[in-house]
Amino acid sequence: MSVEDGVKYVAAAYAIILAVLVAYSVWSARRVSALEREARLLSTEVERRAKA
Amino acid sequence: MSAESINEAGATPTTRGKTGWRRLVDVPVLFVAAGVSLVTGLLLVFWVAPEEATMGFPYKILYFHAPIAWCALLGYLVAFVAAILYLRSNDARWDRLGMCGVRLGLVFSLLVMATGMIWGRSSWNVWWSWEPRLTTFLIACLMYCGYFVLRATVEEEERRATFAALFAVIAFINVPITFLSTRVLPGDMQHPSGVVEGGGLVGWMYPAFFVSMVGMTLLFFALLRNDLRVERLKEELAYIKNRLGS
Repeated sequence: MSVEDGVKYVAAAYAIILAVLVAYSVWSARRVSALEREARLLSTEVERRAKA
Repeated sequence: MSAESINEAGATPTTRGKTGWRRLVDVPVLFVAAGVSLVTGLLLVFWVAPEEATMGFPYKILYFHAPIAWCALLGYLVAFVAAILYLRSNDARWDRLGMCGVRLGLVFSLLVMATGMIWGRSSWNVWWSWEPRLTTFLIACLMYCGYFVLRATVEEEERRATFAALFAVIAFINVPITFLSTRVLPGDMQHPSGVVEGGGLVGWMYPAFFVSMVGMTLLFFALLRNDLRVERLKEELAYIKNRLGS
């Protein structure tokens, strides 16, 4: 196998690893933020109703 | 959700929010540590570690392929331990941990299959070979996909958790078989039996490999912790919505 072909395979493998792990990390972090925001809003509403 | 974790007004530990340094040093510490280790690993792999004598440049795939495989099996091990603990205690926290373990195990499994196929194409000139390690890994992937199919088909929470735990225990039988397949199973062994022993590592290849291994393991735990937080938040939200509805 030529050096160029070897580089192509290695680059492809690392690109897949990077893409999947970064995508999963970002998706997971965004989901936490969204759920925390929603929980905070709803929790405030529950507290407001409890006081009323 | 445990009663003590939610106050009278319905505020939970998460919704009350963390303050000051606890928020700063929470999950990001693990992510930062993982990122630093993985970048250091990459630098060592591409700038310091020498090329392997037989396979040449494509061997560099192994430095991340093997740690990813380790993390996949670690995910299934976490699910197995959580399943045992759930069956002993009936505590929903273990069910959540088991599900997150299997989910991460599957993500890492897909990655290990993809990188393994690329490595196989570069080293063996084929995308896929029905040899023991690849076949047992594929079986593990399919079995753990079944775990989510099972969860989707059972509606009642407690029954779903019990069935999922039992499934995780049974499916784990394949994990040691996968790990030991290159060492004990007969067959056409194209896959190396191990990386550290007999894997062709010399000199600076060792630190490059071990730093990548540490980085990937840290990333696994960072993602696991984040996934657990997502599941806990979903449960808290369902509880608060119930309160608002009633």
